[in-house]
Amino acid sequence: MQSGFAVKATRVAIVVALFAIWEILSRTGIVNPRLLPSASDTLATLGDLLQRASVRKDLVVTASEVATAFALAVPVGALIGFLIAENRYFADVAKPLLFFAFSIPKSIFLPMFILVFGVGFSQKVGFGFFSTIFIVIMSTTTAVESVKVEHLTVARSYGATPVQTAFRVYLPSMLPVLLEALRISMIFNLTGVILAEMYASRDGIGHQIATWGENFQMKQLLAGVVMIAAIAIAFNELVRWVETRCSHWRT
Amino acid sequence: MQPLANITPLKPAGAIEVRNVGQVFKTTTQDVVALENVSLDVKPGRFVVLVGPSGCGKSTLLMMMAGLRQQTSGTITISGAPIPEPDPNRVGVVFQEASLFPWLTAEENVEFPLALRGVTKSDRRARAQDALKLVGLDGFGKRHPHELSGGMKQRVSIARGLVQDPPVLLMDEPFAALDEQTRMTMGDELLRIWAATGKTVVFVTHSLTEAVYLADEVIVMSPRPGRIVDHLQVSLPRPRTYEMLSGDAFGSLRDRIWRHIRKSA
Amino acid sequence: MSAATLRRLIVVALIALWEFLPRAGLIPELFLPSLSSTLAAGWNEAGEYGHALAVTLYEVAISMAFACGGGILLGAIVGSLPRPRILIMPMVSSLYAVPLVILYPVFTVWLGIGSESKIAFASIYGFLPTMLATAAGIQTIDPQLLLAARSMGATLSQRLVRVIIPAAIPTVLSGLRVGGALVIVGVVVSEMLISSAGIGYLISRYRTILDSPHVFAGVLLVLAMAIAFNAAIKWIERKAAIWQTGTRAGQDAAGEIAPTGLQPAT
Ligand SMILES: Nc1ncnc2c1ncn2[C@@H]1O[C@H](COP(=O)(O)OP(=O)(O)O)[C@@H](O)[C@H]1O
Ligand SMILES: [Mg+2]
Repeated sequence: MQSGFAVKATRVAIVVALFAIWEILSRTGIVNPRLLPSASDTLATLGDLLQRASVRKDLVVTASEVATAFALAVPVGALIGFLIAENRYFADVAKPLLFFAFSIPKSIFLPMFILVFGVGFSQKVGFGFFSTIFIVIMSTTTAVESVKVEHLTVARSYGATPVQTAFRVYLPSMLPVLLEALRISMIFNLTGVILAEMYASRDGIGHQIATWGENFQMKQLLAGVVMIAAIAIAFNELVRWVETRCSHWRT
Repeated sequence: MQPLANITPLKPAGAIEVRNVGQVFKTTTQDVVALENVSLDVKPGRFVVLVGPSGCGKSTLLMMMAGLRQQTSGTITISGAPIPEPDPNRVGVVFQEASLFPWLTAEENVEFPLALRGVTKSDRRARAQDALKLVGLDGFGKRHPHELSGGMKQRVSIARGLVQDPPVLLMDEPFAALDEQTRMTMGDELLRIWAATGKTVVFVTHSLTEAVYLADEVIVMSPRPGRIVDHLQVSLPRPRTYEMLSGDAFGSLRDRIWRHIRKSA
Repeated sequence: MSAATLRRLIVVALIALWEFLPRAGLIPELFLPSLSSTLAAGWNEAGEYGHALAVTLYEVAISMAFACGGGILLGAIVGSLPRPRILIMPMVSSLYAVPLVILYPVFTVWLGIGSESKIAFASIYGFLPTMLATAAGIQTIDPQLLLAARSMGATLSQRLVRVIIPAAIPTVLSGLRVGGALVIVGVVVSEMLISSAGIGYLISRYRTILDSPHVFAGVLLVLAMAIAFNAAIKWIERKAAIWQTGTRAGQDAAGEIAPTGLQPAT
């Protein structure tokens, strides 16, 4: 456990060192501070931004878009994924198509969402949904397929009802895979919504970032980047933490 | 270390001498004593089988004999000279799972140790053919490992171990992953190859039946820290036959080993 | 009916619907112009699209060299050294959770709106997953193979050339597949956001004047590019099929890593 602590401490040290290098580069003028404001300035700006009502409103907008897109994509994707995984023929037909849909870049369809929905909430949610659903379908199929046939046979031979099988075999076997799927889907979802906001939008934090960039407001821009990165990493770590907590039965 | 190889060996080729050997693994949390004061003499041409509970240090002992790991105390000599690093001219090694290179054909796998030494292509090919013929795989040289059965893969491994004609062959649970029938056949095959080549063989196994069936001598080890607790001579006549398995002599040898293992469990 | 036949029928039906739904007026031409009018639009402006394609391909090629070269190299180093691996890999995969597209405005401020900012962004976009895939794959090289090579007296450089590199080929290929796909996405996305050339730029420009057929012609072109890239990688993978079937590394790299997340995000 001591070495585990050492590893964590080293990681913190690496992050601190990166911020220190950033600070030094900018302070000493090795890099033009107009192009790279120092780390401390950026963090101070971040503090300011979080006080501003407009930025908070943008965060709320983005959060509600992300949440809506996620809440729509996960159940719909999971349902489709289940249907595909449960039916052999359906799976044979659909899987290659899904693989293909999964592998093509989704972002080129962004203009279509604008043409159909106009610029606004539904366009951003729509694109967030679209960029998330394929990964949800794929992960659900993987999760269902990760349930061991032997476990199902054992459950059946002891006379488990379908409900019992669902809760005592399917759910515990799938939980770790599902959590992982949730984490990755969220990455896709967040990227989709932010991209939609940056591309064409009147509000949302992605829109703000794009605007700061166009106006060469480097402090605000970097502060926004740090903020989104921190939020994304925090969410990611949270799910990973839950994953490790749940992983003791996954051998 | 280099000059040692030039000294005329006092012992004839193929002799193995293990003197008061110990192995301690230092890990971050504790020191693991894997082997303690192990001494052992193997005369040239003998078939010696090592048995013992899992984790008692059989693989570790074999690795040291192969020069893949250095003991922390004691000495090991092969054909009269220490083995500070792997020397395929003195020792061939066959591992448990097929450790064949999947991107090479059977014959290229067998040629591998020769290629490392820059032996010419035609020479390599000829020697690989001989080795493959010896293990009964004539005509399978062009296949890749995934096109071969488990037993055939282990035959290729044996051919690879023998291709440089070392006097000693070390085998670490080579048949453990095979099914019972293949395993029996492979045992007979190995005995045939051994008889034909006169190698010294040190063979690790979990199967007591396999141990008695194959061996001239069986060495029984204790759980960690591994020590030698018994050294049996198997005086059953050769060639060994399937009928011997149900005989009294066979049964009493197996029982004697089993009692050691059970005691330590 | 066999699954493959039905699948082909579905594809044909989708293409047919694309032609007939807009024609019949069931979908407004603004939302989805018919396939024929899309192709016609592309054909009429072939010169413009060709020029844009050249710009995009140039950016893709350079970014791919950076992303895949750097990602495979660094992934191989980090993956084969236990200490850095334990230290760095979790950090890199945390970074992977960040929607990297927010970095693009930073690059435009630094490098302008020409090709440089696109190349910088797409290189970074493709780099992380390539590195993750390669590092994960290198780890799956069977230690028995290295031990066996050592027992036959292979020196360090012989082990590298004759064992580690061949064993890593499937991994490198899957790294290439993931990284390459992302590089294409990265270039096109950044062209769509702010730029003055390339297919992404054309798509955005025609979008602002609501010229749907020309938008979809650009979309089709990018699709064709992605499909061509996938086909090229598949072809190479088939050439290296022996590696694929033989190693644990091959199966893991190709079968496990790819579908569970290291794939084009948007
Ligand atoms: N590199 C190592 N570091 C620490 N302990 C080890 C290492 N290699 C082996 N051991 C320990 O040494 C003991 C002997 O291992 P091994 O020789 O593989 O046993 P066997 O082959 O008899 O099953 C085991 O308890 C194992 O845990
Ligand atoms: Mg062992």
